[in-house]
Amino acid sequence: MILILLLLIPGVASALIARTEKRSIAALTHVCANLAALIVGAIVIGQIYLSQREVSWNLLRADSLSAFMVGIITFVGAIVGIYAVGYVNAEFDDTQFRRVRLFYSLFQLFILTMLFAVTTDNLGVMWVAIEGTTLATVFLVNLHDNHTGLEAAYKYLILSSVGIAVAFMGTVFMYYAAVAQVSDIGLSWTALIAVAGRLDPTIVKLAFVFILIGYGTKAGLAPMHTWLPDAHSEAPAPISALMSGVLLNVGLYALMRFKAVTDITAGQAFASAWLMRFGLLSLALSAGFLISQRNYKRMLAYSSVEHTGIVALGLGFGGYWGTLGALLHMVNHALAKSMLFLLSGNILLKYRTTEIRGIRGLLRAAPWTGYAFLCGILALIGLPPFGPFVSEFIIFRGGFAMHSTAYAVTGVALVAVIFAGMLASVNSMLYGAPPEPWQSRDPLRWPLAPLALNLLLLLALGLTLPNSLREFLSRVLKTIGVSL
Amino acid sequence: MPFGKIANLLSFLFLLMSFLLIVRNSLAGQVRMFAVQSGILAALAGVVASFGGRLELFGVAGVFTIIKVIVIPNVLNRTVARIGMQRAVAPYLGTSATLVVCAVLVVIAFTAMSPITGSDPLPTADGIPLAFAGVLIGLFTTVTRRRALTQILGFLMLENSIFMIALLATYGVPLIVEIGVFLDVLVAVLILEVFVYRIKQNFDSIDVKQLGVLRG
Repeated sequence: MILILLLLIPGVASALIARTEKRSIAALTHVCANLAALIVGAIVIGQIYLSQREVSWNLLRADSLSAFMVGIITFVGAIVGIYAVGYVNAEFDDTQFRRVRLFYSLFQLFILTMLFAVTTDNLGVMWVAIEGTTLATVFLVNLHDNHTGLEAAYKYLILSSVGIAVAFMGTVFMYYAAVAQVSDIGLSWTALIAVAGRLDPTIVKLAFVFILIGYGTKAGLAPMHTWLPDAHSEAPAPISALMSGVLLNVGLYALMRFKAVTDITAGQAFASAWLMRFGLLSLALSAGFLISQRNYKRMLAYSSVEHTGIVALGLGFGGYWGTLGALLHMVNHALAKSMLFLLSGNILLKYRTTEIRGIRGLLRAAPWTGYAFLCGILALIGLPPFGPFVSEFIIFRGGFAMHSTAYAVTGVALVAVIFAGMLASVNSMLYGAPPEPWQSRDPLRWPLAPLALNLLLLLALGLTLPNSLREFLSRVLKTIGVSL
Repeated sequence: MPFGKIANLLSFLFLLMSFLLIVRNSLAGQVRMFAVQSGILAALAGVVASFGGRLELFGVAGVFTIIKVIVIPNVLNRTVARIGMQRAVAPYLGTSATLVVCAVLVVIAFTAMSPITGSDPLPTADGIPLAFAGVLIGLFTTVTRRRALTQILGFLMLENSIFMIALLATYGVPLIVEIGVFLDVLVAVLILEVFVYRIKQNFDSIDVKQLGVLRG
């Protein structure tokens, strides 16, 4: 029942906002819905953690892995949601009320589809929800309604839809393999896991390759990532933050569910090998674009391809450490990237350009934005004492432990290249004299306040791994068949 | 005629429509081919429903007919009418080269699907490679065509072919999933229609080659 409540909050909010005629009520409903979802999300997580059981109701079912995802979605959703109010107020005046309303309404619909995707047991329904995330966001990508936004949105919709259609084909093959064992399995993941040992390995392998290409498109794995830099850079800052920080993780979540089945049926080596290949390719490709990137939003977008690649490597290395590192990295990346994309909104409001060349002296012109951006970038490129350093360390350590030395060494080298490339770009943005005329002032200040939480959590995850968190993550790992 | 033969014949006709669609140059003609293909697929669903004893498939066939034979072709026709006559844009690949590639794709489909056809006890299994060939041709069309509307048709062919694979391999996926997928596809097409207008308004053409600003 609590799961229904969790889904009802953004659903009802979206419908209410679509009907209201007052801007302030739309914004208020939006923020309340985000906070309510955060609270109910915390209750769901608490319930699953304390009872050590899953919560289920009809088609809905949430285990530890779902709880993990609910945590990411509702937390980042709330932070982004609060900033979004400030951003929308700065960008759209009252003559554009319809666009503002569309923004809030689709924002909630986007949250709803993501929450639905991670709290259903039915793999077909999960597919429907994940395709729903594309449909909910496509108008958001084109919210500014200009040439480049249109190009990005069209590419995003057609490429994601085609990609995800391939994932549906994989789902059908998985269903085919399962029906041979249990005729009325109905695409339930729990039932699929239960019979996984008896499935035909050839067909499951075939299905997994399609699933990996399909949901890999959604997760931003190269070479299916081509829509990502366009969509993530053209969308308004809060939407970029959600898409990079959260939506990519939903794609990875789907892959993890299917990997768990494939591991049991076909042995771990099969799915691992494919994940490592795609992961390393993503790292290599994004490194190429990150060395000399001219646009800071595209830089952040390509960095998302990089981090998806790192998570895929972690999942591919497998074992307790590789997978634990992958989970931690999903959290770290969600925290760091959502923060950076929100700050990119501030930078855009201040300088009115997305070209790195046009940004000088950020630390002086907008100190709060500048210093937060600096911390976020340092966290993102993997510098201690921030979380991503620890999770990347765990992942590559897992790679060496599982004897995937070649992949691990190449991966570390590429991360180092990206480190240098991004630092050089950001350096030129932060220092120097701001373009004239300038005054030291952050365009949006109070909406940045929640980002302090992101930063604190990034620090905390870089310095400690509390026992309760480790225990929780171990249970998440257990649901997908990984134990120490 | 036995069940398996009918299913095979319909699968063959289905793939034929994919081929006819890609050699057509007029958008209206392409839309018509798509509608016919969807009609064949609805008939196949009806055949599987009656021979396979899956009564809910009659319902699926009904919904499918409404959405893919009536609503979507109408939406697309309306789009074609509103954007007016289109300058013929040469595809990245000529017609004869496209046909050769598609023939190769059919061969690949037969090889790739051998584990499924070899293990499927259902009488409809022989059509699966044909359906998978439809998937590959749809994918190929979406990637290599320059007109936005033809790309959308490629996506729809791909979608049709996957529905057909499910139909032939397992007599369809569970009803709730089927309905959800139809809904997603319908919404996707409606949104894509809006984008085709906007592209036409902004660039005075629906050649996607003009959508090439975002790079690097």
